[in-house]
Amino acid sequence: MEDKFDCIIVGAGVAGLAAAMTLARQNMKFLLIERGEFPGSKNVSGGVLWGTDLHRLVPEYWKEDAGWERYIQHRRLTFMDEQSAFSIDFKSSHFQEPPYTGVVVLRSRFDRWLAEKVQEAIDASDYAMDSFIATDILVEDLVHDEHGQVVGIRAGEEEFHAHCVILAEGVNNLLTRKAGLQEAYVPADHMLTGVKEIIRFDQAVLEDRFQLHGNSGMSNEFIGYATNGVEGGGFLYTNRDTISIGLVLGLKDLREKNQKPYDILNHFKTHPAIADMIRGGEVVEYSAHVVSSGDNRVMPKKLSKGGLMVCGEAANLLLNAGKAIQGMDYAMRSGILAAEQAVASKASGDFGESAMKGYEKALNDSYIMKDIRNFQDAVHLLHDPVMTSKMPNLICDFGRNFFSIKNQPTKKSRAMLHDSIQKHASYWDLLKLGARGAKAL
Amino acid sequence: MIHFYVCLKQVPDVYAPLQIKDGELIQDSGRMVLNAYDASALEEALVLTEKHGGKVTAVLAGPEKAKETLRKGLAMGADEGVHIVTEEGSAYDSLYYAGLLAAFFRDKEYHFISCGKQSQDTDAGLTGSMLAQLLELPYATNAVGLTLEDNRLLVKRQGDHGQEMIELPSPGLVTCSNDMNEPRIPSLKGIMQSKKKPVETIQASSLTGDGIRSVTTLLGYEEKPKREPGQKFEGDPEELAITIAGLLDSKENLM
Amino acid sequence: MSTLLTYIAVHDGKIKRSSLEVLSRCNELAAELGWESVALVLQPDATKAIEGLKPYGPAKIYTMSHPHFHQHLTTPLLRAIGHAVKEIQPRVVAFASTEGSKDLLGALSAAHGSAALPDMSEFSIDTEGVSGKRPVMAAKILSSVRADGSPVFVSVRSGSYNPEEREGEAAVQELSFSFNDADLRTTLREIVTATSDKIDLSEAETVIAAGRGVKDEEGRALIRELADVLQAGVGASRALTEAGIYDPSLQIGQTGKVVSPQLYIGVGISGAIQHVAGMSNSKVIVAINKDPDAPIFEIADYGIVGDLYKVLPPFIDEIRRIKSA
Ligand SMILES: Cc1cc2nc3c(=O)[nH]c(=O)nc-3n(C[C@H](O)[C@H](O)[C@H](O)COP(=O)(O)OP(=O)(O)OC[C@H]3O[C@@H](n4cnc5c(N)ncnc54)[C@H](O)[C@@H]3O)c2cc1C
Ligand SMILES: Cc1cc2nc3c(=O)[nH]c(=O)nc-3n(C[C@H](O)[C@H](O)[C@H](O)COP(=O)(O)OP(=O)(O)OC[C@H]3O[C@@H](n4cnc5c(N)ncnc54)[C@H](O)[C@@H]3O)c2cc1C
Ligand SMILES: Nc1ncnc2c1ncn2[C@@H]1O[C@H](COP(=O)(O)O)[C@@H](O)[C@H]1O
Repeated sequence: MEDKFDCIIVGAGVAGLAAAMTLARQNMKFLLIERGEFPGSKNVSGGVLWGTDLHRLVPEYWKEDAGWERYIQHRRLTFMDEQSAFSIDFKSSHFQEPPYTGVVVLRSRFDRWLAEKVQEAIDASDYAMDSFIATDILVEDLVHDEHGQVVGIRAGEEEFHAHCVILAEGVNNLLTRKAGLQEAYVPADHMLTGVKEIIRFDQAVLEDRFQLHGNSGMSNEFIGYATNGVEGGGFLYTNRDTISIGLVLGLKDLREKNQKPYDILNHFKTHPAIADMIRGGEVVEYSAHVVSSGDNRVMPKKLSKGGLMVCGEAANLLLNAGKAIQGMDYAMRSGILAAEQAVASKASGDFGESAMKGYEKALNDSYIMKDIRNFQDAVHLLHDPVMTSKMPNLICDFGRNFFSIKNQPTKKSRAMLHDSIQKHASYWDLLKLGARGAKAL
Repeated sequence: MIHFYVCLKQVPDVYAPLQIKDGELIQDSGRMVLNAYDASALEEALVLTEKHGGKVTAVLAGPEKAKETLRKGLAMGADEGVHIVTEEGSAYDSLYYAGLLAAFFRDKEYHFISCGKQSQDTDAGLTGSMLAQLLELPYATNAVGLTLEDNRLLVKRQGDHGQEMIELPSPGLVTCSNDMNEPRIPSLKGIMQSKKKPVETIQASSLTGDGIRSVTTLLGYEEKPKREPGQKFEGDPEELAITIAGLLDSKENLM
Repeated sequence: MSTLLTYIAVHDGKIKRSSLEVLSRCNELAAELGWESVALVLQPDATKAIEGLKPYGPAKIYTMSHPHFHQHLTTPLLRAIGHAVKEIQPRVVAFASTEGSKDLLGALSAAHGSAALPDMSEFSIDTEGVSGKRPVMAAKILSSVRADGSPVFVSVRSGSYNPEEREGEAAVQELSFSFNDADLRTTLREIVTATSDKIDLSEAETVIAAGRGVKDEEGRALIRELADVLQAGVGASRALTEAGIYDPSLQIGQTGKVVSPQLYIGVGISGAIQHVAGMSNSKVIVAINKDPDAPIFEIADYGIVGDLYKVLPPFIDEIRRIKSA
């Protein structure tokens, strides 16, 4: 039997890699296991990594020309009806200085790059020969000791032991469920599916079309017609010479309305505002992936037990409150926190249940759980039919009236708004929405 | 104690999306993998040495970064590795690599050298028989099955019209198709052990011999002419069958 | 005068169409350059095989006869071609790309210290050397390549050119060849020939390719029936050659054969890039697959979404009806 590891991490997504990087830097002996052929091979993501934790992991990452696509300088939130798009648009040179508030990434490239950085950190640690990133290996089970504490993993015929295990297995969290931290069966009602296409342009065309310079980039979220009446939203992010465009859709609603994600995406792409943005591009990739909704009704009951911590989307750490999808930054931070707990536990020699709770506490105190708690109402609101159809229609209708000049007496905006509300939603709906909105945001 | 040398090449992943810009091939992910045919060659050598006893040495010529592919070979089970380090970013053809490998093998002793039948990215299929020629070894190409009989390899070779059973004496060279086996995926233990296995590093520039040169030039890449988009028919099988048969007759004039 | 030499592959006494394609291209290039296009035939009795070659108009046919040429034996073939190259001093030696020529090309190139350009989909010749195009990355794109010097060894994918007859009487010249069996470095113990392929796959005008969807004897019988009514060659995907359901010589794709028929019908084949690499130059592609998202539909001219067991019987009937009308 090989010597015991300090820690085994399952999954080399953002969460697992962040944990691994933290462990390597802290001179821990660990094993990071990924079932994909290479880190990133199984990962689909629309792509903005928000916040500045990346700078913590790879200081001054922006000086490297690898891994990431563009930093976010320009943000846009768009409400759509069938013909119109009404946007809130913000661009600022504030966002131009590193550390950036967000960078667009393509996961197959980003994860691989981050894994290389982790390998460099391993090589520089005392465990250069004893810490590993192992790919193409599926972890099938956890190994418990007689007290029910997790002491390792099993992959095929092989068993490997560690003082603790970090589960960073993503949304399809089978091991988290096996460990009894979450119901074995999670109803699909609170799950979403993400579909995404990558569309390629000539780089100069892309930069002109989206008014980009250097490595600056844009993120655009969409509410309304985008999803053809199915709960969810759309997004468009600029990469170096491609854009990521896609939708996040409620699984239950899709089923009930008998719609296919791919068809809705195609429908989205024909909207005049979108068609103008993607014209002349060539679709080079299509992918689909389940996303958790960030609804805390489907969160695991507990995120740790003796010898075990769960982070990233495996812990359902995700927030989609309309203005952005936050999953990767949560994954990164929670991975860091779990690894820090492992380091502290090694120092104290205690990997038991209460020690591991230290991770949950750190998570609770972090911005992640604060945001998730504070924005639960916004999450529910976003998945309300009022929000997916009535509201965008109303806004666009108002916009159409507001911006039209008809050589006729123009109504006051207030009256226009009144007309739009009459047409698309009742005052009652709006009142409800307003109240909820005020509470949510 | 049979000693196999297996030549491993690192190639771009043909599954990764690619594009052509100004005649240059750009892979978005820049992902490199072990040539699938070489993985089969290695698998077969491992199976044979596991059964009959022996040693497998993996040899790879490529830039520094290609070492990960050699590691994969070691993780699969090769006993030791040789990395002939070439310059980053240079384009070499099969004759160059064959020349380089020949210079390396010239003073070595072995029973068999095993290569992939072709590189997955270029499908050239030249290096193996070039190397055999340069080393004046008997060889067989496109093996779909190998058996060891008293230090001779019985090679089942896929020819144009059938299969040939060829007896290859040692020392000899064989190139392998990937039709013969399913290469193993390295186990965790294999991955861990691979880090500790011996790897000899040789600078390509230190290997000399005539003929270490490229004789072909790569001028550039281009898209293949696009096919006209086709039509997809769904519905009642009977009706579909009749419709399509009719179209093949009336529209395509193929009947 | 400079010379272009085409190696003529013969199977069962019959000249391979793919060799005639290459020869025709060399004839054309020789005419443009004012050079000479000649052919080389290696057979147990080469004089017998050359009748079919004459109408395709090489300026000269070189023959070598030896019993060993009955089979594919690497060493005698290398010797013979090496000898011919020495005698003829060609600028270019061109082959049809087959398993046979793939076996020899690298060794010939290394032996002469000159270039090999394998598996070209088009090529041309100038006074300095050879240039052309070949598919790479599982035939997803084309690369342009060039080799200078002489002789350059070239092999050409089947279906790249049309065989064309031309006027003129070819002179025939026998080259001597002797071989000492002690020099045979490998021993050919046995040949396991596939007996089933009545129609040579790589030359067939119509190809039916069976994939994993063809699960059983009933499926195979349908394939056979379809092939019979269309007088088609039958090929298969890796999934079925590997399973031993079809002979490995029938595998179409990157590892197997390249086909470029007028009509290709893929039945129960998903369309993996490695399979597509071997058939994407077919003129008309028909795919029958029950999965509407199967990648083969991306390249099919006519995609039939349906169960092959339900589609094929009426399809065969209808074709039979059309044929007899
Ligand atoms: C279409 C779409 C768009 C999105 N857009 C954004 C966005 O713009 N911004 C944002 O922040 N988030 C976005 N997200 C969410 C984000 O992708 C996830 O929240 C994030 O990837 C979670 O990271 P993770 O490391 O927890 O899990 P993952 O990235 O899913 O990684 C888990 C890894 O574990 C591996 N694994 C799983 N089980 C095992 C096992 N048993 N053994 C070994 N390995 C295993 C998997 O192969 C995988 O590599 C989007 C998601 C989708 C689907
Ligand atoms: C380096 C390398 C080289 C390779 N070389 C080759 C090669 O030369 N040739 C080759 O073929 N492969 C090759 N392969 C393998 C290739 O990747 C695929 O695995 C193989 O082509 C799959 O064969 P298939 O389409 O028959 O099977 P599958 O991919 O399993 O597809 C079967 C299809 O049949 C359909 N189907 C099932 N039942 C029915 C039904 N009743 N009616 C209708 N449709 C049905 C299914 O929907 C499915 O799409 C190579 C792989 C590698 C890595
Ligand atoms: N750089 C290299 N290092 C090791 N082996 C190589 C190298 N290049 C080619 N080969 C071997 O030759 C085979 C492919 O030859 P080719 O198709 O000519 O590129 C591979 O399958 C390898 O076995």
